Amino acid sequence: MNAPDRFELFLLQDGEKKIVETVVNGMSNCSDFTIKKEDHTIGNLLSERLKQAPNVMMAGYKVAHPNVPELFIRVQTDGTVTPREALVNALKQLVAAYGQLGREFQKELALRQYADQGENGDGSGAQGGTY
Amino acid sequence: MDYDPMVMDDAESLGPVVKISQADNVRVKFELSNADLSFANSLRRVMLAEIPTIAIDLVEIEENSSVLADEFIAHRLGLIPLNAEGAESLLYSRDCDCDNYCEHCSVKLVLHAKCTGGENMSISARDLVPAGDRMHQTLGMPVIRDEDGLGPLILKLRPGQEIKLECIAKKGIAKEHAKWAPSAAIGFEYDPHNKLHHIDYWYEQDPKTEWPPSEYVDWEEPPAEGEPFDYDAVPNRFYYNVETSGPLGPDGIVTEGIKVIQQKLAGLIHELTEGEGGDNYDGPRSPEYGGGGDGFGYSTSYGGNGGNQSAWGGAGGTTPFGQTPYGGGGNTWS
Ligand SMILES: [Zn+2]
Repeated sequence: MNAPDRFELFLLQDGEKKIVETVVNGMSNCSDFTIKKEDHTIGNLLSERLKQAPNVMMAGYKVAHPNVPELFIRVQTDGTVTPREALVNALKQLVAAYGQLGREFQKELALRQYADQGENGDGSGAQGGTY
Repeated sequence: MDYDPMVMDDAESLGPVVKISQADNVRVKFELSNADLSFANSLRRVMLAEIPTIAIDLVEIEENSSVLADEFIAHRLGLIPLNAEGAESLLYSRDCDCDNYCEHCSVKLVLHAKCTGGENMSISARDLVPAGDRMHQTLGMPVIRDEDGLGPLILKLRPGQEIKLECIAKKGIAKEHAKWAPSAAIGFEYDPHNKLHHIDYWYEQDPKTEWPPSEYVDWEEPPAEGEPFDYDAVPNRFYYNVETSGPLGPDGIVTEGIKVIQQKLAGLIHELTEGEGGDNYDGPRSPEYGGGGDGFGYSTSYGGNGGNQSAWGGAGGTTPFGQTPYGGGGNTWS
């Protein structure tokens, strides 16, 4: 049949570039970023983060069509940084934030397992599952 | 980047905070606070759709005299949860150098049973036996967690019927097919008192009496009598309930989800900071950007020890990510 392969949702095709910046004419310090094979997961995350940056005037994203695995992010800054720099800053902050989330989670989990061991001595499930 | 060194010390107190309320081998329930909705929701979406696991993808049927059609059985086999712990050591078949599949990119399981007795015979996941060269002892083994130790029922045979087949399990993500989803379900909620009015409850007379309260009502202050609506309020406490279907532990789903999203973001940084001419980018590749993802960089920086793929960390004398203050620069990133 003519259905596209489902891996086209997340695998870059030959010659496709992951992210392309297009400067928006007629708006100062404004760029569109086209990110291939990404969706709301990255779009919402990035645009919300960008909007919180003091030197970003405007940020937004769209996934133009649910069948087209392509994401647009528009960023306008106040001119103290370029849109590209603002985007990289947002990305770096997010990597750090998720890193902290991971460490927090591991720390909490270790505390919890320690507490559980004290309670019943047998932390494993009935079948000794993969936990 | 303009980080203010003054706020670095208490940086960790500004970032996301986790509180686990339940953890066993099926589910982990936790509260994520001090984060915004997009941050929380992206983690939820990644845990649902983009964590690599193993599932049966090819089935070669040699003999099937059961009442079920070949493709029906093949579909059922695809949905059997297989142990995906250590899946990072397996290549994606499409990235492998082999022609079709091999021990570096697949796990082989065989099923051969014939009903020789007088009673109907049940064939379950336990009857799938590993075959061929295997890189890893437990990777790709069916997940068995019921008390009888049988695993999910695949089919039944009447006296004289036989089933003989060979399964090739491959690595994949749930965006391609839901059989690769590690989670059975992920509960996600916030604002148990609906103070933000993100939910518009349907009701006959009174939504308070007609709708069951959230299990988290005691975690947050209820609205005071006659409290005016706060137009500036945003959610910042999120309640997750991550339930595994077996391939990974529930905590493994969370940590892998974080890793996947970090790899995605790191890949974009890489592209934006060095991939100008596309010179160090070579064609399609699988979502696992860094290949050897080094977790979320406990004390080390993310990508700091990742070698070649993560060289972006050094550009412009930026702080290593492990120590970068979440919300640096004195801004109020929530
Ligand atoms: Zn191979």
